[in-house]
Amino acid sequence: MEIVWENTVIAIIAIGILYFLLNKYAFGPLFSVMEKRQELVQSQLNEAAQTREQAAVFIEEQKAALQEARKEAYEIIEQSKQTSSKQAAELLDHAKDEATRLKDEAVRDIQSEKNKAVEQLRSEVGAVSVKIASKLIEKEVSEDKVQGELVDQYLKEVGGRS
Amino acid sequence: MHEAPVIEVGGLHLDLSVILMLLVTCTIVFVVARLATRNLSVENPGKLQNFMEWVVEFIRNMISSTMDWKKGKPFLSLAMTMILFIFVANMLGLPFGVVTEYHDPAKATIFGHEITSVTEVFKAAHEKGEEAHAEVAWWKSPTADLSVTMGLALIVFLLSHGLGLFKNTKNYLKHYVQPYPFFLPINIIEQLSKLLTHGVRLYANIFAGEVLISTIMTLAKASIIGAIFSVPLLMAWQGFSIFVGAIQAFVFVILMMVYISQNLESHDEEHH
Repeated sequence: MEIVWENTVIAIIAIGILYFLLNKYAFGPLFSVMEKRQELVQSQLNEAAQTREQAAVFIEEQKAALQEARKEAYEIIEQSKQTSSKQAAELLDHAKDEATRLKDEAVRDIQSEKNKAVEQLRSEVGAVSVKIASKLIEKEVSEDKVQGELVDQYLKEVGGRS
Repeated sequence: MHEAPVIEVGGLHLDLSVILMLLVTCTIVFVVARLATRNLSVENPGKLQNFMEWVVEFIRNMISSTMDWKKGKPFLSLAMTMILFIFVANMLGLPFGVVTEYHDPAKATIFGHEITSVTEVFKAAHEKGEEAHAEVAWWKSPTADLSVTMGLALIVFLLSHGLGLFKNTKNYLKHYVQPYPFFLPINIIEQLSKLLTHGVRLYANIFAGEVLISTIMTLAKASIIGAIFSVPLLMAWQGFSIFVGAIQAFVFVILMMVYISQNLESHDEEHH
């Protein structure tokens, strides 16, 4: 087998041309597409990691908000419990006061009615007893003021005792 | 033994079969690569694109195994070209061969040029006073020609040593006088032998495969029994040749990357 050096040169030229053509029309675009895919995958991975972090943050926030809401609800319940018991006590006090007031008024009314009645009775009894006495001792007593006063005094004693 | 159809044009010897087969190989590789990268898609690659990307990944792993990927990245395209070219070239000689037979030197012409290799055979036979005939192979693997594989090896040789000389000058030159200055001739012989073995290994494997195929064909032509025997033999050998062709393409490219990395990388680590 002899070496034909022209063959060697032709082979080198052929490989050179093939390399140039493949590089320009086939491998160049292919490599760039593969690189793009790699970038795409990388960016998607990054995005996923970011989303996960965000989700974790959101969950934390939600938990905090829930805790806050629970605390608030508890406070509201406590507050309303306190208010209601206070109100009940107030109502009770009010009612008691009212009742006492009503009772006192009633007592006072009774007292004043009684006093009025006594007064009326006294005056009537005085007049009646004067009439009775004047009838009994018509002439001797009728003009004597001293005796009238005596009768009054006596009647007062009677009224005071009653 | 088949002759190569060599013609003389303007003082140059042109081997028509090699030119033809180089053209065929380059066309097939380019068309396949172009088809595979026709409708490129980032998110939804087609079958051919997937295959091509697999090849790229394969070559990338190959380069990464010999050198730092950052350094090796520029050679990805070259390695792809080489492995596709050599693989296709190795496969081309397997399915069939085209051989023309000449008994008369006057008829051995093409495009008006005489096929010098044929006429030389006749001349040699004429001097001995024998009857002669010549067979010319037109269709064969281009890698079954030593001058072609030496061309490929020469590309690698020049590339690796050029890179070593210009990009890694100090380490590259120092390497020739290590471990002692009188090792210089041995180191030079080592480098030259690398060039030689790189080219000859590929040529010898493919050429041997084709020789055996043509031998089996001769057996088939000899008799009916030979023809019956030759069928399983041919099947087995062609299957094995596919395997050998793939392996040789792989070996050639990985050696290419090893040689480049040897000349590019510093060997400082070993001496400190």
